[in-house]
Amino acid sequence: MQETEIHDLSDDADYAASQQQGSASMMRCESGKRSSSNEPEGAEVLYMKDNVTIHPTQFASERISGRLKLIKQSSSLFMTWIPYKGQSTNARLSEKDMNLYTIRAVPFADVRSIRRHTPAFGWQYIIVVLSSGLAFPPLYFYNGGVREFLATVKQHVVLLRSAEHANVFLVNDFQNPLQRTLSSLELPRAVSLSIVPSTPVSGGESASQENGERTDVDVLDGSPSIRQFYRRERQKVHDPARDISMQLLEKFSLVTKFAREATSQLFWETPSNAFSLFERGSSNLSAIDSSQKPRDDVLELPVPVPPDPLELDKLSLAWGKPRQPPLGLEEWATFLDSEGRVVDSKALRKRIFYGGVEHKLRKEVWEILLGYQSYESTYAEKEYQRSNRKTEYEIIKNQWQSISPEQEKRFTKFRERKGLIEKDVVRTDRSISFYGGDGNANLSFLHNVLLTYSFYNFDLGYCQGMSDLLSPILFVMEDESESFWCFVALMERLGPNFNRDQNGMHSQLFALSKLVELLDAPLHNYFKQKDCLNYFICFRWILLQFKRELEYDQTMRLWEVLWTHHLSEHLHLYVCVALLKRYRGKIIGEQMEFDTLLKFINELSGHIDIDVTLRDAEALCLCAGENGSACIPPGTPPSLPREDGFLFNSELDDTVL
Amino acid sequence: MSMRRRTLLKVIVLGDSGYVHMKFTQQYKATIGADFVTKELQIDDRDVTLQIWDTAGQERFQSLGVAFYRGADCCVLVYDVNVMKSFDSLDNWHEEFLKQANPTDPRTFPFILLGNKIDVDGGNTRVVSEKKAKDWCASKENIPYFETSAKEDINVDAAFHCIAKTALANERKQDMKQYGFIKQWRFGYDHYLVLHFSLHSRDL
Repeated sequence: MQETEIHDLSDDADYAASQQQGSASMMRCESGKRSSSNEPEGAEVLYMKDNVTIHPTQFASERISGRLKLIKQSSSLFMTWIPYKGQSTNARLSEKDMNLYTIRAVPFADVRSIRRHTPAFGWQYIIVVLSSGLAFPPLYFYNGGVREFLATVKQHVVLLRSAEHANVFLVNDFQNPLQRTLSSLELPRAVSLSIVPSTPVSGGESASQENGERTDVDVLDGSPSIRQFYRRERQKVHDPARDISMQLLEKFSLVTKFAREATSQLFWETPSNAFSLFERGSSNLSAIDSSQKPRDDVLELPVPVPPDPLELDKLSLAWGKPRQPPLGLEEWATFLDSEGRVVDSKALRKRIFYGGVEHKLRKEVWEILLGYQSYESTYAEKEYQRSNRKTEYEIIKNQWQSISPEQEKRFTKFRERKGLIEKDVVRTDRSISFYGGDGNANLSFLHNVLLTYSFYNFDLGYCQGMSDLLSPILFVMEDESESFWCFVALMERLGPNFNRDQNGMHSQLFALSKLVELLDAPLHNYFKQKDCLNYFICFRWILLQFKRELEYDQTMRLWEVLWTHHLSEHLHLYVCVALLKRYRGKIIGEQMEFDTLLKFINELSGHIDIDVTLRDAEALCLCAGENGSACIPPGTPPSLPREDGFLFNSELDDTVL
Repeated sequence: MSMRRRTLLKVIVLGDSGYVHMKFTQQYKATIGADFVTKELQIDDRDVTLQIWDTAGQERFQSLGVAFYRGADCCVLVYDVNVMKSFDSLDNWHEEFLKQANPTDPRTFPFILLGNKIDVDGGNTRVVSEKKAKDWCASKENIPYFETSAKEDINVDAAFHCIAKTALANERKQDMKQYGFIKQWRFGYDHYLVLHFSLHSRDL
């Protein structure tokens, strides 16, 4: 391997650093032994680099190394990245995890740009952004070779350095979009997609008969041929759904064929009726209703909606347990020992998962769920913690309170940050009486906690959306210091959503796209066809944990359920899937595009029944099981980041507001 | 109800200060992700629906622009005539938009500049002169310029008409150039709310 590297050294100023840091992972580069004889006929490997590595979490503690290749076949350029088999640095990374990241022959026609990062400390890496807006995780070149990679790409596709950013390279940036479309038509992908039947078979029954063998196991072996890849891709679309459908069929063996057909007719063949069944009493979806009117002549014909491989109403019957009344005072006492410790935290979390807690208990319970207080603490220990933390809070708060007007004049960053917080505070939940009216003291508490947090975590600072997340916490805690520490605990989990590079959001949107693919392949295909796979339509759902979508008390109910982490840390993603599935008939039936879809999603606000949605989400989560967890990259918020975070800090290099 | 053909135009509003806000829907909240409102106009016998997009203002969310600016027909830049910084950052917004939206021909892509809040304190707090703004417009392929007061409803209709016309002209040009068809939607009149628009002061 060494000889292939010689010409690379000049490329990477940080190569030396990588040798010091990454020696352990670099031991694994037996590149010569991994011959790649199974390239497809006519394919030419133009570039090959070993030890190109993905850091699945934002921290460098877990790595997946693999081989990056550029392949040319019938005048199209493809990129592949295949992880080495069984060489994860961490036993916790299963092969499924590794599989998840594998980049199987991405045609450069689908690539929008490549961003090169050359940090002063650490390895060079690139981020490949697709035309859909999705990005692959950063690929770290432990052995250097970024420049050579870009040079090779440049020889085969139009690669332009962005005028604004010297490190951004635009791929195929033809001035004419039509040309772009035409050029992508030549690609095998376009052809193979058109072969996929547009209306998948009903109920998943016959899909299960099509392909007996599972082939997604062997992708770790070297480089699969491009032709094979496309075949597999087609098949894979059906695979997970098929598995689940099979499980379902077993579960529902008592449901007669007749009943099944009747249900599916009732719910799916007339999308608008189906909608009204779910949405009784919510007639005020104004902009959406207008689009039900025929536009042009397209909608003169009813649009067939492919059947849902997992119909929610059946699922909820089988899996999603009925919601319980919220946990009350008396029952709460049964979970505590005489000194106030929670005896069985698992049972408690499960109980809250199924019913939430009564409002008067929230303060006490939220502190524990959020991790500000521990399950094992006695009453006395909690009181001690409260008083200690209060002192600590005052110290941090004093850091900004002691800034004099003269000092502030010379402290732009502080002024900007403060200004931003002031502007957001006065428009946070003003319709709730707790925050209503002029000169409301609770607004100053919001302001103080946010500004203090931006000093506590100066790197992250303040970002829009944080005031929404803090608002219910302050409402429950009714105390600055307590709210602050609960907010700190919440941001430990959700902080990456607000990072400058938005990595937390991107990994959740990525996971969501994988989950929809798993749980509703036809809907996934629909979003793919409408170029909506970036799931930006669900951005607000995830960033604010549905805060803008639900009534205030329902938000609090949902949050305490999510914070139990019973069943999954990522139940919120299943909530997204549940909602999308609820409305799939309407979405597909009305052929919503990105903009109408965004409007539709935004206007669901106030029309969501959280109890029903939670049952659906629970059902989907149970149904997806292991396959579901495999869709979610490790370290995806709200999972706690795993270990040290030197990368985290290096990400935040430029101006932080 | 008669059905008429409508042309849909996508308009992106950007700037440190000032954005389009629907008066009496939901309360006033910071935009997270993106949202849009629609406004009906008639331009030379054509029914036009302006789809006016408001995106999260904080720079940190700029990476979302790629998806949200896609397919825009016009970009409206707004600054506050009383705040120099909002004028200074126009270059930034202009550039950022072109970078993210990646229009076919950046040089001819239609922009409009609005200098808002001219009503404040009878104009005494004004720091950006009309000339300065017009010079900036001249330096950017002659962007049309309007001075507005959303609060006093000065020039707002004129600005929207100009926005629609400019976008329409651009669309015709684009249609002929590349698509060969006209992007049109048909809506029933009865399904449209009467929307009241105003430009509200807002930072970010």
